[in-house]
Amino acid sequence: MATQKRYGMLYDSNKCIGCQACSTACRAENKVPDKVSRLQVWIEGPKGKYPDLITDFHRKSCVMCDSAPCVPVCPTGASYTTSDGVTLVNEKFCVGCKYCIAACPYQARFLNPETGAADKCTFCHETRVSRGQKPACVSICPTGALIFGDMNDSKSDISLALKSQRAVKPKEHLGLKPKVVTVPNWRGGDA
Amino acid sequence: ATWAAGGKVEGKADFVRSFCEMCTSRCPIQAKVVDGKAVLVSGNPDWGATGGTLCARGVSGQSQLYDPQRIQKPLIRVGERGEGKWKEVSYEEAYDYIAKQMQGIKEKYGPEAMAFGCRKGPHMSYLYTFAKAYGSPNTHNHESTCPLARTVGLEVTFGTAGLGLDYGNCKYIVSLGRNYFEGINVAQVRGVMNCINKGGKLVSIDPRYSLTSAKAHEWLPIKPGTDLALVLALNHVFIRDGLYDKDFITKYTEGFEAVKASVTSYTPAWAEKETGIKAADIERIAKEMAAVKPKAILDWGWRTTFTPEEFELRRAIIIGNMLLGNLEVPGGSFFSKGPGFINGLVGKPVVQGIAGFKTPPFPKPAKPRVDGAGVKGHPMELAPAGDGIAQAVPESILTEKPYPIKGYFAYRYNPVVTMPQTNRVIEAMKKLDLLVVCDIYMSDTAMFADVVLPESTYLERDEGFNDYSGGVPAFTLRQQVVKPVYNTRAHWQIFKELSEKMGLGAYFPYTNIDDIRLTQMGGKQDLVKMGKEKGFVNFGMKPLFLRDKNSVAEFVKQFPDAQSLVNEQGYIDKYLTNLKTPSKKIELMSQVAQNVFGRGVPVYRPIQIAESGQQLFIQGKTGLHTNGHTHNVPWLHELMPENRLWMHPETASKLGVKTDDLVEMASTVGKQQVKAYITEGVRPDTVFCYMGFGRVSPGLKRAYKKGVNSNLMIPTSTVPVCGITLQTAGVTLKKV
Repeated sequence: MATQKRYGMLYDSNKCIGCQACSTACRAENKVPDKVSRLQVWIEGPKGKYPDLITDFHRKSCVMCDSAPCVPVCPTGASYTTSDGVTLVNEKFCVGCKYCIAACPYQARFLNPETGAADKCTFCHETRVSRGQKPACVSICPTGALIFGDMNDSKSDISLALKSQRAVKPKEHLGLKPKVVTVPNWRGGDA
Repeated sequence: ATWAAGGKVEGKADFVRSFCEMCTSRCPIQAKVVDGKAVLVSGNPDWGATGGTLCARGVSGQSQLYDPQRIQKPLIRVGERGEGKWKEVSYEEAYDYIAKQMQGIKEKYGPEAMAFGCRKGPHMSYLYTFAKAYGSPNTHNHESTCPLARTVGLEVTFGTAGLGLDYGNCKYIVSLGRNYFEGINVAQVRGVMNCINKGGKLVSIDPRYSLTSAKAHEWLPIKPGTDLALVLALNHVFIRDGLYDKDFITKYTEGFEAVKASVTSYTPAWAEKETGIKAADIERIAKEMAAVKPKAILDWGWRTTFTPEEFELRRAIIIGNMLLGNLEVPGGSFFSKGPGFINGLVGKPVVQGIAGFKTPPFPKPAKPRVDGAGVKGHPMELAPAGDGIAQAVPESILTEKPYPIKGYFAYRYNPVVTMPQTNRVIEAMKKLDLLVVCDIYMSDTAMFADVVLPESTYLERDEGFNDYSGGVPAFTLRQQVVKPVYNTRAHWQIFKELSEKMGLGAYFPYTNIDDIRLTQMGGKQDLVKMGKEKGFVNFGMKPLFLRDKNSVAEFVKQFPDAQSLVNEQGYIDKYLTNLKTPSKKIELMSQVAQNVFGRGVPVYRPIQIAESGQQLFIQGKTGLHTNGHTHNVPWLHELMPENRLWMHPETASKLGVKTDDLVEMASTVGKQQVKAYITEGVRPDTVFCYMGFGRVSPGLKRAYKKGVNSNLMIPTSTVPVCGITLQTAGVTLKKV
């Protein structure tokens, strides 16, 4: 097992039922104020022509880019990436300039109305992951649609899942190397 | 447990085990508490069926807990009924008022003129005890607006309604409108998803493309109200092609020949004309199910009442399952294995059951129940008296037949929104001499009350044990997570105190919560301790299926006394021929239903719900709200503040409406303006909305008047034999 961790997450949209347990648990765990969200699940559909329909499910949150564009644009160093690959905001240094919000192609960041600082998903780094627990969204998910762990550990759930699943990286063409990946809806083409 | 230092969360975190009350599924939970404040409600990680997971409603328990819009003190009405003018009083004053009024009703009309209703759950026995001690037979819960048809169908067939379905080990599930992924019960959600993950097939039969349909392998948009035709055709194919389990039918059932004769004409070609589902698909599904039997389930539904032929539909579904021989095998159906079942099987007490208190006998009611549930010779005699028929109460209030109901005690129950025909229910509430409501919010029923007693939410109260047996005996325990935020009390305290005021204290002989719990566990301190620590009590058993030799062997290893029951196949199947039915077997043909109602085996009578020119209005659950309960909870309201009326583009273009245009929807009993949502996900002849919106109580400041109230459209009705209400109606639509 590698000593340096590199956290990643897999979202299997086939297992997601859009129940919003994850986004609600995120709100509770991270005290996210009303009207803003670190995590949303979008239900897109039904699409197609009656009766041949599909519905897609999307996780909307920070995708933890290896080459995170939100970090170099930050004028104060409030945006930073930890040694285990998690991009965070130090709200003490944030001046609310919104450069990072503009730089993020995933619309993952927002200004927290209570702190005035930029805010986003942290993988529950401080409150859970650094204590050996899973992020709140992962542990609450009724259907096991989320798999989280250390991608440097070849035997971790996430590494095994990445080997066996047809996962795609969101907006891969941007070259930002996101560490939150999605298993797309298999009902699209086959069957 | 001390929370590790160095993070953002400061102070001590404690974890309290309990069970949820955001719906009636009662999933085991664990709440994280920091500095006396609940900060995260999640699933109980030690409860295998849910494994620490929970739904959004459960996680939103803390949002409800700290909501300033909750009722904070007991209230007595000072203005006109429904006007919303209240005087804040102490519990003592509220009790005095209620006791005096109830005494007055008893003296003037007799105790049976008071009715008592609640949502089903472990709290129900406190209300029922109070009612019976007072002398009224008129108690009911919400079941007749939910799954009562299924209950009656199961009881007629098996002599008990205590059966479950083992989705997780199943290979083929056919759902007839049962919406697993929106009418969420977390353990069942996981079971169905496990079935799919292991390569099992899910077929969703639903006029609307639900989220369950979205996850299913096939969606078949059936013409609403024709599900019975489909099921009869499946049964026809099972029998016609000899695909049914002959050994099972011979050994354990009665009445196969009657069923066989009754389905001869119900061919798939016939069913295609009724249902709109192709005969070839019906043939194929029947064969696919039979190929994996007994691990195939035809779901017997939940809150899914489509037509007055409900009893036939539920019975036909149950018969279909028995033709597949899926009883008491993994991946099929099974009897709930509570302590009574296990002790009965072993022949001596090996598992502690939940014990009660010794109380004086109840006074014998002078008159029978107004709803006739369980009353011999009454058209509703097969409906269980323990559930009752909720919609009979407003009728008796308004018509004064069979005798007048003058007072109503509604506890954690909101009939104005959850019962059909909202306007008629409101009319009934207004006519009462006394309406007492015990709830956590100023609900649509509470707004018409004379007295409102605020109850502590489930996160603020200790409670006794709750029987949560399924595949194995188990009890869950509700525990106080935080101290009450407002001036509220627990129901076991409220009913005890109120009863004492009325001189009925002997029926509530406990002193405190420890006394309740210890008595329930037969004085066994170790079980109480286990309950407090783990949030549940179990007995180290693995799920027992009586016709599965592996699980029977495990069972005998634990309880050697059961060895003598095991047959040469390794089954314990004597139970299946010693049921509490007249024949002691599984009754495919019910002589009782035949004698009393002429409905021994299911037959098809076509039903027309919508008139020509009308749309069929159907409704259902969302995973983000519970019935008439959660719509004002801040987080859930934010996720889903309102509903809209789903309509097919063809329907919309005829009306000339676009998404979010206002449409006037009218039925024989109500009219309202609704926002349209144009979607391919519903049949052209059908419109749909999620239930529980369009609230009438201004006290629910967020939810008030947001969206469509589905029950405003539904006429009051009581379905033959099983007493359930209809949840469909014909509606006329026009652009506003």
